[in-house]
Amino acid sequence: MLKVWGRTNSINVQKVMWLIGELGLDYERINVGGPFGGLDQPDYLAMNPTSKIPTIDDDGFTMWESHAIVRYLASKYASGAWHPNSAQDRALADQWMDWPYNGVYQNLIIAFLGLYRTSKEERDSDAIFRALNICGGELSILDSHLASCAYILGDNISIGDIPVGCVTYRWYAMDIERPHLPNLEAWYARLQERPAFREHAMIPLA
Amino acid sequence: MLKVWGRNNSLNVQKVMWCVGELGLEYERVDVGGPFGGLDTPEYLAMNPNGQIPTTEDDGNVLWESHSIVRYLSLKYGKGTLCPEDLGLRHTADRWMDWPHNGFMQALRVPFRALVRDRDKAEPDMDAVKTAIVAGEGFLPMLDNCLTNSPYAAGENFTMGDIPLGCILNRWYSLPIERASHPAIENWLERIRERSAFQEHVLPKSS
Repeated sequence: MLKVWGRTNSINVQKVMWLIGELGLDYERINVGGPFGGLDQPDYLAMNPTSKIPTIDDDGFTMWESHAIVRYLASKYASGAWHPNSAQDRALADQWMDWPYNGVYQNLIIAFLGLYRTSKEERDSDAIFRALNICGGELSILDSHLASCAYILGDNISIGDIPVGCVTYRWYAMDIERPHLPNLEAWYARLQERPAFREHAMIPLA
Repeated sequence: MLKVWGRNNSLNVQKVMWCVGELGLEYERVDVGGPFGGLDTPEYLAMNPNGQIPTTEDDGNVLWESHSIVRYLSLKYGKGTLCPEDLGLRHTADRWMDWPHNGFMQALRVPFRALVRDRDKAEPDMDAVKTAIVAGEGFLPMLDNCLTNSPYAAGENFTMGDIPLGCILNRWYSLPIERASHPAIENWLERIRERSAFQEHVLPKSS
């Protein structure tokens, strides 16, 4: 059976768990990381030398890096659906999976840690404000893309929606002011209709 | 014919050009970005709304994001070579393409800008540089260990998994800094630097 190591409130674990839920795969999840620790144990490091989460073991094949896991599971269990068959569609899904690395992730983390993991007295409000501004600007690019399609690739959901979907949950779950991005909001509403998204990606921020 | 937009000294353009060189594809490269500008024109933004480089067009299909382009070209033109047929190896290569995003790239940027790109423009913030070098070096023992067990990122052969890693580590090892010894990384980098496509597209243009 598929085994997943990681805590449920990690965004990188959520990407993997959301896909597993969508595909209806049997799995066992083991809590590690954060308050659970365990990432510095020799057994864990032998599977994942980066000492991060998530890690999976699928019939003896271990894999780490959340996006690489998502690509692997989708190509193995949902070829032609979540993992598009055409090289062009796959590249476009890939492109929107890589995209958050160019600014969104980094700034979302600055804002999240500042607002949820730092006391009011120690909070750097300017840094949070700058980070949120960058996120808003980046997400407006995604908003424009979504003006002409229901999902990242068009009419059907794919792995291209997964990282940006997890990012967008956090964006709307944080207690912040946001620009109005109508296409992003409509797409996010469509994601929230999905039970697997609600179960695995919409874990309350803490 | 494949078209690539981007100046040839950009790290992200180099990943794509090296891949194009390995595959022996015909191409036309258009200088944009940096001193060439051109990233804020409506025509460019219609192709790449991020206003960044590189962008490619292959058979009318426009793509951006350097790693996505490398994956696409490898799958389309390099199945069995850059993109392994074995799915385990293919996904392992894929994983090493994602890895630098999670801290190492961020660490590399600081000393590269301060000590190389902007060295004549501004006094470097040496505290920030030192912190970033320590952070960057912190990633390397793990990578060294992995490359001890396999000659390339994904096993016995050179694949797409070596491409972002090769560009990035080459840049790290070109920085004028002191560093710890990581023999497996150094041996691997030596093999990478012997490749003619790397010599043509990456090695001479490091700023």
